Order: sequence, then structure tokens, then C-alpha cells
Amino acid sequence: MSFLELSGVVKKYGALTVIKDLNLAVDKGKLVCLLGPSGCGKTTTLRLVAGFVSANGGEVRVGGKVVSSAHSTVPPEGRNMSMIFQSYALWPHMTVFENVAYGLRLRRLPAEEIAKRVRAILAVTKLEPLETRYPGELSGGQQQRVSLARALVVKPEILLLDEPLSNLDANLREEMRFEIRRLHDEFRYTTVYVTHDQSEAMTTADIIVVMNNGRIEQAGSPEDIYARPETEFVARFIGGTNIFTGKKVAEDTVLCPGDFTLRCASGSLPANGQGAVSVRHHDITLSPQRMSETNSVAGKVERQIYLGSHRDYLVHIPGGETVRAVAPVNVEMSTGSDVWLHFPPEHCRALAQ
Amino acid sequence: MTDIAMTTWEGRRRSVDLSIPTFVLLALLLSVLVILPLFWIIYYAFRSDANGAFTFANFAALVTDPTLLRAYGLAVGMAFAVGVLSCAIATPMAWLVARTDLPGRKFIRVLVTASFVTPPFLGAIAYEILAAPNSGIINVLYRKIFGLDPAVVLVNIYTMSGLVFAIACFTFPYVFTLVANALDKVPSDLEDASAILGGKALTTLRRVTFPLVLPAMLAGTLIAILQSLTMFGSPAILALPAGFHVITTKIWSLFQFPPQLGLAAASAIPLLIITVILLRAQKMVLGRKGYTVLGGKSGSPRIVKLGKWKWAAGLFVLAVLSMTIILPYGAIFKTAFTNTASDPLNLQTITLKHWNFVLFEFSATQLALRNTFLLGILTATGVTIVALVTAYLVTRRSIPGSNYLGLLATAPIAIPGIVLGVGLFLSYANPTFQLYGTIWILLIAFMTIELPAGYQQMSSSFAGVHPELEEAGRIMGASRLRTLWDITTPLLRTSVIAAWCFVFVGTIRELSATILLTTANTKLVSVIIYDLNESGDLGAICVLGIILLIASFAVVYVANNVPVLGRSREPQTT
Repeated sequence: MSFLELSGVVKKYGALTVIKDLNLAVDKGKLVCLLGPSGCGKTTTLRLVAGFVSANGGEVRVGGKVVSSAHSTVPPEGRNMSMIFQSYALWPHMTVFENVAYGLRLRRLPAEEIAKRVRAILAVTKLEPLETRYPGELSGGQQQRVSLARALVVKPEILLLDEPLSNLDANLREEMRFEIRRLHDEFRYTTVYVTHDQSEAMTTADIIVVMNNGRIEQAGSPEDIYARPETEFVARFIGGTNIFTGKKVAEDTVLCPGDFTLRCASGSLPANGQGAVSVRHHDITLSPQRMSETNSVAGKVERQIYLGSHRDYLVHIPGGETVRAVAPVNVEMSTGSDVWLHFPPEHCRALAQ
Repeated sequence: MTDIAMTTWEGRRRSVDLSIPTFVLLALLLSVLVILPLFWIIYYAFRSDANGAFTFANFAALVTDPTLLRAYGLAVGMAFAVGVLSCAIATPMAWLVARTDLPGRKFIRVLVTASFVTPPFLGAIAYEILAAPNSGIINVLYRKIFGLDPAVVLVNIYTMSGLVFAIACFTFPYVFTLVANALDKVPSDLEDASAILGGKALTTLRRVTFPLVLPAMLAGTLIAILQSLTMFGSPAILALPAGFHVITTKIWSLFQFPPQLGLAAASAIPLLIITVILLRAQKMVLGRKGYTVLGGKSGSPRIVKLGKWKWAAGLFVLAVLSMTIILPYGAIFKTAFTNTASDPLNLQTITLKHWNFVLFEFSATQLALRNTFLLGILTATGVTIVALVTAYLVTRRSIPGSNYLGLLATAPIAIPGIVLGVGLFLSYANPTFQLYGTIWILLIAFMTIELPAGYQQMSSSFAGVHPELEEAGRIMGASRLRTLWDITTPLLRTSVIAAWCFVFVGTIRELSATILLTTANTKLVSVIIYDLNESGDLGAICVLGIILLIASFAVVYVANNVPVLGRSREPQTT
């Protein structure tokens, strides 16, 4: 049995259903990322787990105990969880030390124990010199670390993070991603992390749960999600990809409008006649002449950009589609020239929907 | 998405949720405060004063009784004149202070803002001292300097124009503050954009800056109109000797023996309606086009160099300040310390006899002072608590119907003091309640009057405290009440104290509703001032006025400067 379980959870705001029959199981010590565009229900899911929002149906269980159901909701303070908020939510009238110590004081620990644990966590988060400062006197990254320290110090059963890096600038964001992963490796709290940034999810998560429109599209390891997407939404949302739709002509083959066939080495096509195939930008090979019978099509270079490490191509193919491909720097073809695109079957992923 | 989630009412299991009973209690309290007086006004408006039967005669009198019609006409005329005059004085002054290099402009701003504290009726009395036709200091000096006959009068405040002038002196800060703040907020890049397109300084001022602050001007003017329309003190002091009534004084006169309660109730209704219309108009003006360029990322507003115009501008500002602050205050202080107002000021004429009279001889003042401060403290505390809880329920817990609570708490803003006075008299001065003649009826009146100000202050400060700050407390293990105590309370402390002071200062100067609800046992300082004015005892009035002003300024000062109360480390709420 998993540590954190959501089964058949439904959340409605008036006539609007924002979470539709959501099922999710997280094992103890795992970091799971809820990933999706804004409005997909990921924050609501997190707040359901936290107890800020009550469920209209289904159950949330922690360690086998029901904490939320349609009938009752254990209040947030009764859940022994902690949370890192988008705004950090540091209390401006308390120093760094007081902010971090607050949760321990609520748990009525003796003063020396509190001081010991606060100092320890401040050391881990590299905040020791700042303990007497007020949040208003800290930089964004420092505030973020205080927020982490405050959440970790109470040894929560579950740690919740609500887009914790969205207020940081790009460099700091990258650094904090690794920091969060490092702290997770050190403490191993069961963690639910909400983000709309796919690279953030890739860096930090054990399991990525891609959500869309109040439902889970796909859940799996970062590699599963990236290399083996099951739906068009997941393929498009994680990493750049080209989607080809066409008539299903064999169990693993699709005939596309440009009159070329794509055979897929992985994935499965839907049972009915139509099918979609995803091919990542950098998995497409460009060459001046044809190299294989299937999985290739001729096109015209519409635009090419030199980007230092690679070249970015837009190729127009018959049937009206424009394919985006990324090629090594030495593959150089001028705009307007004819080109053959090859889609190696092992990189063609058949999509179920 | 997060917004929806934040306002959701979270379910509780183990502990009892107090918000529903609190909500019901508050809804009841607010309904009683706001709806009951309005109900009785409407009831009495249809009730014959003669036999208690149902009648339309009171409303018919509104259009047939020439004294009522005239009072309404004069009141509206006066109010609009005040609005226009306030706007005409305040707008150029606001521009000079906000956008030019006029020397001392920060100080001028503080001075004008401080003049908010002056009760308008005190201002009217100050002008009585200055510009009464016979004894007014200005007239006396004029006659003395030019050796003229005692019948010659330079200025006479007991006229319609005198009244308009005296009121405008104390309503122009509304327009000034709104326009000056709006000018502060017009981002300089909007003006730079006009300049770069070839707009000259004056063109930019006319085509960009002016239209941007126009809503603020209109809104301020509407407030000035509203204030003067519903004002009782100044017209009672200046218009009655001049021999005419405005509507507020007319309503008051209907309470004199023999009381015509039905007629008073009916005449209060149009005033209520006009107020609602004016407030709607003001909201519409401010609400359109996203004029308030709030939070725009832009540099400091551009400052115009006045150059040789500096002197003219300085003179203009000095003239305005003299008429609105320096002269009235000078007159009040002089009168408080000299035998009679028109005595020359020297060592022989300086006396403390008025202070002695007010503080020790005149028995009514001590009682009035005690009543006033007691009511001030009770009202401020009561309003702050009610406003705090209401704002919390409305902004943090979306209980169905909580918007109604917010609406009720802001509704009294549309009830002029005199109308509320009528309503409360009709509601509570009856055998059931028997509150007339107690300070409780005054407490109810003041709480109702001050509730909107307190509520608006509290709800905007709740909006300034990010809900995640409270949620962080909850998830760390603190109960809702504990979170309120540990986190919300310290963060709101400054605004709670500010709201308390604001209400206190507003309460101790109230006259419009008080005048109908007070009796010999429940005299307040404002009423004593009014009474003393009738008996012409200006020295004592000035002493009382100074006491009121000192109390007001002291409260504001203490709130701003005592660290335990207000000035804490600036909360940086994001």
C-alpha cells in the first residue's frame, strides 16, 4: 500500500468540476511532481492533500488513514504536513530563526531542543549567518531557503511544494532545483511538488504526474514521460515534438497526408482508423538524399537558424505540414533547398490518443 | 485557480467551527444597526403626525410646503457651489504641491491633510469670529484702519456666499488629497510618451495629465458636495442667523416643539436618495477606464520648474492656507485667550478666564467631556472589533452570504448623519427601548456612522496580508485561532490602531446625528459648542474646540509614534 493515496477524488466549485476522479498513489520517500498548464487542477490537488480544500467525492489517505473525504476533512493543522508556498509566506514580523522555530514551538518542544534543531536545519540550508534577519532583509533565494528550512524542520510526514521557484530569476531557479533535490535525497520526505515548468519537474521528480483539465494524463518516471508519452498532450507538453496524424494502415504504422508511412517501434495506436505519432525534434535526421523506403519524406527548408550547438530547421512537407527538426551543426542546408527527412522507427512513438 | 481555492470555505471535523455563529450574530447586529432605522423612517414617513393613520400627506408636503422646498433648493445650491469652489481651490494647489518645485510643498501637504481634523462646525465658528458683520475681527480692523462708521461692513459671513465659503474651506482637503495622490500616481512615462511625440509641456499637461486626474477631481468634488449637503453644524451656525434653512437644519427644526416626526422622516428620504446617487456617481467616475494608474512601474513624477512664477504660486498657496488654516486657527486661539474676540492682542487682554469657565465653573462641560471621550473610546473599540471580524469573515471565509455582510457594513456611508439621527430617534426613543436620553443611543449612532470607514480600512488591510501567510501557520500545525493570534494579529496591528484612531477622531467631532439624539444628561462637547454658540459665548467655544483638536492630534500622534502601538518593523507583505 502506498503512503499517500488519492482515490476517485472529485472537487467542484459550483457547477465547475476542477478535479475529475483523480487517482494517485505515492510511495513513502518519493518525490512526485504534479506537472501541467495553469488551470489543470494541480494546485487544487495539492491543496486537497494539505486540507485547505475539502473534497466533494473520493478519498485522500495518508498511511492508510482517511484525511479527506466527501464527509469530513482533517484540518491542515491536524495532518503533520508542511508546505512551501509560491509566495514563500514567510511571516514578516518574525526573524529567520523565529520563522523556522514556529512549528517546533507549536509542538511544545523544550527551548534547547528547538534551538538545536533550528540551527541544524539552518546549517543544512546555509542560512546560519542570517538567523536574526527579518524576511524583508533577505534576497529572493534566501527567502526561498528559509521557507524550505521552516518546512523541513518539523519533520513532516508529507512535504508539499506549490510552484516554489516561480518567483525566482532564471539562474537562481536552476540552482534551487538541485538544492531541492539534494535536500530530498538527504531527508527523504514524501513530497508532492507542483510546477508548470517541465525542466523543473525533470530535475527534481522521482515520478512526474502530467495533469490536464482536472485529470491525470500520464504518470511515470521522467524517462517514461519523455521517451514514452502515451498521449499527444504529454508528448507536446514535455519537450518539443512533431505530431503526425494519419490513417492507421497496420498495427504499428500510420499513413500520413504527405503520402509517407511512419512505423513506430514503441507505443500503441488506438483501435479505430486514425492514429498519431510523435517524433522529437532532435530525433529527425536530415539528408540531401533518400536513405530508406519507409519513415521518410521529402521537403523544402523553410528556415534554418544557427544556434551554436546545433541548427534549428523548419521543413515544409507535402500535405501542408511544417516539421521542426534539430540537426548537428555540420548538417548545413540553405533555405529553399530540397531535403529528405528520416524518422527512425525506434524514435517514432505511437500515441494512444 | 488559486484564487478560487483560497476563498473556499474549508471543512472542519473535530473542533467546533465558530464562524457560522459569529456570522449569524454579526449579520443580525449589522442588520439591526443599518436596517432598523431605515425601516422606521419609511414607516413614519407614511404615518400622519396628527392621528397616526396611514397617509401620503408627508410626501405631499415635500412638494407643496414652500419652506421645505426652499430648504432643499438652497441646500443643493449651496452644496454645488461648495463643490465647485473646493475643486477650483484644490486642483491648482494639488498640482503645485505634487508636480512643481514650489518651496515647502511637503509641509503644505501635511498642513492640508492635518486640516481634515478640524471639525467643520469649529471652522464655521472661527469665521463667525473673523467675519461676523458687527463684531468680526476683520470688520473691526477694517473700520479701525480706515476710521469708518460702525455700520460699515466689509465681509459678512451670515450670508449664502459666506456659508459656501466657510464650508468650502473645510471640504477642499477632500479634493486636494484625491487629486494630489492621483498626480503622484500618473506615471511620468505617460507624460514622457506625449513629450517624445512632440507635445509641449502645456499640451502634455492639458491632453495627458489633466484627463488622467479628472476622475479624481470629479470624485473629490462629489465628496465635497455630499459633505456639505449632509452637514448640519456649519449651516446651523451660519445660515440660521442669516435667516434661512438648508435641509439638514430644516429637519432638525421639525424636531423642535411641536415635533412633526412624520414630516421629518419624509423630508429625510430625498436626502438619502441624493446621497446614494452621488455615491454611485462617484464610484462610476472612479471605476471607469482604469484611470487609477496604480502600481505602474515608473520613475518619480516629473517636476515642473516654476521659475519666475514661483512667487505667484507661493502667494496663491499662502492665501489658501491663510483662509483655511492660519486665520481660523489664529482666531480660535486668540478668542480662547482674550476677553472678547475683537479685543486687541496684548499682555493686558490675555486671560485664562475662558479656560477657568470651561474647565471648572461651567458644570455641563465636565460631563460633556467625559461623555465625549467615553463614547469616542467605546465607539472606536466597538467599530474596530466589528469591522475586524466582518472583514475577516468576508475576505477569508466565503460563507454564503458573506458579501451581504460587507454590503451592510458599508451601507451606512450612504446614510447622512441627520437622516440616521431621525431613524435612530424613531427606532429607540419609544417605550420599548427607552434609549433616548442615554448614551447608548449615541453609541449606536456613532457605531453605525463610523462602521464603513472602519470596515474599509480593515478589509483593505486584510487584502494586504497574503492568505498564504495564514495557511503557512495552519500547515505548520497551528489552529485557526492560533494562526489569527500569532500571525494575522501582529500583521494587522498597525492598521487596527489606525482604524481605531480614525474612528475616535471622527466620533468626538460628530454633530449631525448627535443633535437629534442628545439630552441634557448626554451632552457632548460638539453639542455644548453648538449650545454656547447660541448664547454667544465664543471664548468658551474656542477653549472646547482647542481641547477637541488637541485630543485628536494627540491620538494620531501617539498611534504613529509609540513603538508598541503602531510603528513596528514594517511588515513587507507581498
